[in-house]
This record gives sequence, C-alpha cells and structure tokens, in this order.
Amino acid sequence: MKILIFACKWCGLIGADGAGKKRIQLPPEFRVIAVECAALVEPDAVIRAFASGMTGVAVLGCHLGGCRFNDANHAAIKRLELLKTLLDATGIGGKRLLISFGTAHEGYQYAEVVKTFFEELKTMPSTVAWTASL
Amino acid sequence: MLEKVKEIARTVLAEKQADGVLGLMKGQWDIIQPHIFESPVEVDALVIEPKWLLAKMAMTVLRSSREGYRLAVVVRGCDERALTELVKRNQIEKERLVTIGIACTAEQAQACICDRPYPQKLDCGDAVAGVDPFSIESVKELLAGDGPARMEKWANILKRCIKCYGCRNSCPICVCVPCKLEDQVWVETGVIPAEVLSYHLIRAFHLSDTCVACGACQEACPVNIPLMALQLSMREMLRETYGYDAGLDPERNSPILYDLCKEPAAGQALPDWVNSLRKDDES
Repeated sequence: MKILIFACKWCGLIGADGAGKKRIQLPPEFRVIAVECAALVEPDAVIRAFASGMTGVAVLGCHLGGCRFNDANHAAIKRLELLKTLLDATGIGGKRLLISFGTAHEGYQYAEVVKTFFEELKTMPSTVAWTASL
Repeated sequence: MLEKVKEIARTVLAEKQADGVLGLMKGQWDIIQPHIFESPVEVDALVIEPKWLLAKMAMTVLRSSREGYRLAVVVRGCDERALTELVKRNQIEKERLVTIGIACTAEQAQACICDRPYPQKLDCGDAVAGVDPFSIESVKELLAGDGPARMEKWANILKRCIKCYGCRNSCPICVCVPCKLEDQVWVETGVIPAEVLSYHLIRAFHLSDTCVACGACQEACPVNIPLMALQLSMREMLRETYGYDAGLDPERNSPILYDLCKEPAAGQALPDWVNSLRKDDES
C-alpha cells in the first residue's frame, strides 16, 4: 500500500507539520509532496502517480473560498472531480483519489483524514490488473 | 443534397464570401480526397461522402495561407463542433471561417454512435435524431461491471496499443506543441505497448472537456481500442453538472477552468458536492 499526498503549502502541509510536531502515530506508507496550491496538481500528475504504482492519491487544499490564489482551488476541485469520473469509468475507482479541501489544517485533523483514507483503501480491491501490465 | 451543396459552394465562391472551399473531391481514377476548390467551375467534382473530418485540415490550411485568406468548409455536425472548439482555443480566426453545414443520415449516426449528427448551422439535408451512446450494447458492456472487473477489461483492451499516436494525430482538437505524450516525464518513451495508464488516461483527460465525440480516434486506431467509450462518461458528467456540451456554444468556455460560484448560468444548480459554497456566495 502506497499513498501519495499532494498537500497545499497553506493548509495541508501545515496540518502534516502539526501532526509531526504532536507525534501523532500514523500509518507509515504515505509520502507528502508540498505544492504551492492544490490547483498546481495537474490531473496528469495524479494519473502518473497511479501509473507508478500508488494505491491512493490525496489532494489536500484550503477550504473553498479560502484559497490564497483567488479561485484557484475552485478550478482544481472541478478538474479533479472530472478526473474521478474517468477513474470510475476505467474501473480504477474514483474513491482512490481523495479530494479534501479545508479539512486538514490542524495536526489532528490531518491525522484523521490520512487514517480514514487508509482504512478506506484497505477495503478496496487490489490494483493487480493495472500494475501487472506496467 | 449533393447538388444543393455544390450550389452553395458556387455561390460562396462567386460572391467572394470565401477564397476557397475545402471539401472532398472525386479526382482522377475516382479517388476521393480533400481539396480546396478555388473557382466555381471546379466545384463539379465536389462530393460529400464518405465522412471525412476536415477540421484539423482547415486549421492547417488557414495557418499556412496568406493573411486574410477566407476558407469555407463543408462540415458535418462533429466537424462544426471541432471548429468551434478550435476557434475558442485561438487556433483559428473566426472571421476567416465560413461553414457549409450538411446533415448525416440516420445510418451514419448509428454507425458513429453520434448524439448530434447535424451541425447547428444546417444548410442542406434534414437533421435526424441522434443516438444515445449509453443505449448501445458495446458501450454498455465496456462500462458495466464493478471496479476490478472493469479494470481488467480495460487493461486487456489497452494492452493492445502499439503506440502509433494515431488517436492523437487524428483528433481534430489535439493541437498542443509540444505534446505531453512524447515527454519522458509523463509517458515513458520507447516502450510498447504504451504505458497503459499514463498514455491513455492522460490523453483521455486532456480531451475531457473538448471532446466533440467525432470518433476520429476510434476510426484511426489500428487495433480497435474503443477510445470513445473512455470519453463518454466525462462528457456525460459535464453535461449533467454544468450543462456544458463541447463545441455547441462558441461564447462559453469550458466550465472546468472557472470558479464554481460564477460559472453555472442562471437557473443552474451547483453540483451537490459544493453546496456549502452557496452561503459564501450570498454573504
């Protein structure tokens, strides 16, 4: 199980930092990539992450209306929601992509989000069909 | 219908509405090929069958011709939508383009699984009702089943890919230079079959809000990958949530580029996953 988390520098990353400072126990199989804004996460990057064998990808951003870059995260959420449709259509499952805006600002909130996502991914079928062909 | 198209083409040329008409010509040895008719006399050789997407060709012609050269194009429904998208994306200057719209027959619509087999500016022929793609057996089968089953089905289909780039080259709207699919960062180069996920999903997603469902990718594919089916669910989602259809409204840009509160037109509901926004908007 591997999870890639794109965390916006202004919310998700602060949460991740806080979780670290508080030494909250988290499942170890996730990696965080800091981005300036969630809107900088191209859907292509999410696809690429799945292609390189990730079981789940999470995009954490600021709450809607609280983006540092005006309406950037509105565009982001629209794009990623559309990507979910594609993931669903090909059977990867839109649920493997977690879009969470404004829910991971504090350490404990971040830990909660990550833990819940882990639990959810555990119940999902494996990605063998895709990874075998890679 | 053919005579009427010829008549219109002659008028367009005679009245100098355009400097050339791009259409299909039955030339020597009955070979059918695209041709630019520049004088009314030539137009006799014009034919309208078979279906041949001319949008990308029109773009190339307009780019390489002298400034102010106006081109009339004989278009079907899908062609017109593609041209509209190209205009929206600043690939073609609107003022230099004239369209002569022709409608497809019911059989053609059935063969293409087309839901809008007629252009908006219809000059000849009668518009026939489209086919709902989700009522077609083959499409239903591809999109049926639960996650893993569908995943395996698609993995097996996409593994056939020989990475000829036919889907990209034939697509009237794939115009990016440089193309991400040729970039080592996104899709590993020199590997056959193409990386299943990266290549196909990146290509499909890039066209998510532009795909006009012309079916050119599918026709070009030498290994019969049903590429249209990848696009259909995204088109449906855009239609349901935003009421957006690629290529129909020249004034409206793709909704996924814009902010959630301003974009939905009056009377349109925000998608239910952002309902909390409404409060922000009102305050």
